[in-house]
Amino acid sequence: RNKAKVDTYGFEKPEGYESYEEMMAQYVAVLTRQSVKWSKLLQGKVHVENNLKVKRYVRKGVPNEYRAQIWMAASGAQEHLEKNPGYYHSLLGTEQQHDAKLEETDIPQNVQFRKSSEPCLQKALYNVLLAYGHHNQVVGYCQGMNFIAGYLIIITKDEEKSFWLMDALLGRILPVNYYSPAMLGLKTDQEVLGELVRVKAPAVWQTMVQHNVMWTLVVSQWFICLYIDVLPVETVLRIWDCLFYEGSKILFRVALTLIRHHQAEILQARSMVEVCECFKLITQGAFTYDCHTFMQEIFREPGSLSMATITKLRETYRERIVAEETRLCP
Amino acid sequence: MAYAYLFKYIIIGDTGVGKSCLLLQFTDKRFQPVHDLTIGVEFGARMITIDGKQIKLQIWDTAGQESFRSITRSYYRGAAGALLVYDITRRDTFNHLTTWLEDARQHSNSNMVIMLIGNKSDLESRREVKKEEGEAFAREHGLIFMETSAKTASNVEEAFINTAKEIYEKIQEGVFDINNEANGIKIGPQHATTNSTLSGSQGGQQAGGGCC
Repeated sequence: RNKAKVDTYGFEKPEGYESYEEMMAQYVAVLTRQSVKWSKLLQGKVHVENNLKVKRYVRKGVPNEYRAQIWMAASGAQEHLEKNPGYYHSLLGTEQQHDAKLEETDIPQNVQFRKSSEPCLQKALYNVLLAYGHHNQVVGYCQGMNFIAGYLIIITKDEEKSFWLMDALLGRILPVNYYSPAMLGLKTDQEVLGELVRVKAPAVWQTMVQHNVMWTLVVSQWFICLYIDVLPVETVLRIWDCLFYEGSKILFRVALTLIRHHQAEILQARSMVEVCECFKLITQGAFTYDCHTFMQEIFREPGSLSMATITKLRETYRERIVAEETRLCP
Repeated sequence: MAYAYLFKYIIIGDTGVGKSCLLLQFTDKRFQPVHDLTIGVEFGARMITIDGKQIKLQIWDTAGQESFRSITRSYYRGAAGALLVYDITRRDTFNHLTTWLEDARQHSNSNMVIMLIGNKSDLESRREVKKEEGEAFAREHGLIFMETSAKTASNVEEAFINTAKEIYEKIQEGVFDINNEANGIKIGPQHATTNSTLSGSQGGQQAGGGCC
């Protein structure tokens, strides 16, 4: 309950938080400016249009007071919520639980809200995960979803909205099979990133090949947790603004920016383990703390990256992985 | 620091059985009651001495959840040892051992040494799996067995070190081809200098690049 020890969102302040607070002192001015702009843009409307102006606004950051609303509107979650009144609560009803595949025990006991000061959040987290598991029985519960549901609850402060945002993310925004047992979507994206690195940071790609580092070793957490616990909270939220509005392409922009910006350090690594450690280090420090500059960088540093390219690469690598897996386990 | 050999280990088992805590106890000699879930893979390393030789253990700690199996499988490649962990207070984690073992055997090299570990031995009052059951399972499947407590550190050193001893013995017996890194063993610089005739030029070369 010691307020000095936790940040705005209730998380324990990490080491080096002072530099973060310095950044935030300046960032507040940006937020205030954005907040005024957003209030003019929305003028009390619930829905947001899909146009260049809004896109520019989203890239500059959605003020926290509008975040839930914008995420809900941009992702289509609001529409689904309105079309399916009572659905969320029915998923938590007792009848459903009997024939559902997901047993309560499938959500491990060690899934706990780090904001232990507010016990009701623990129940909300559990409910959202349970409801989602009933809703999407192919996926059920997969580690990593706990982090995502947790962030959604912190931002929306509403179980039902969190559930529908989760549905938007896993069902529409991310490619299919990110969290389902074979994780084909996730594996594909890791290979797609590898290919993008080969083109946009060839020296890094060489290093990876030289030390025999599989992409899954260094970036699985980035993709599974959508950068939660990888990057600072404020930066993650800014990335998610774009994720909800522009789609999953943004995940590659972030990864490529981190890799290209820290190319020199990665090339220093002399073994597989050193490469892995380096990939942990490059997510920390001033570069990622300063979310506003970081977000400008992700649209500059990697250069052009069209959705058509991503879609094509995803198709190619999905086919390759399926072929490879069939060869290994026919 | 110079080492004679490097052994790669992988820790596997259901979620929440204490894999990361065992690793932390072994590498840092501390226990963290609330531990973040492992997503993907984490690494640990420590030097031990066997038969007067410095051996570096490079330990891969994996995510235990079912969904991650398809990813975890790729980590078996090149592992010399595996710690297969269950929780003595949760019967289901013991029941899943067969699936873990099948996975391990199918995706690793056939000489990989597997140590079965019944963790949380400090929680005697909540025990659901008898020690004899663990022993029987290990005997039936040709594994080494120990009960440990990552919390009190009981048997943790022994679990990691006994696995290394078994690997070391296999090397002495000539079972492992130590010049093939796919077996999870690397010859280190120390070995190359004290025993250069045995490891030959290839070993020396590998030592030059192997500095992790």
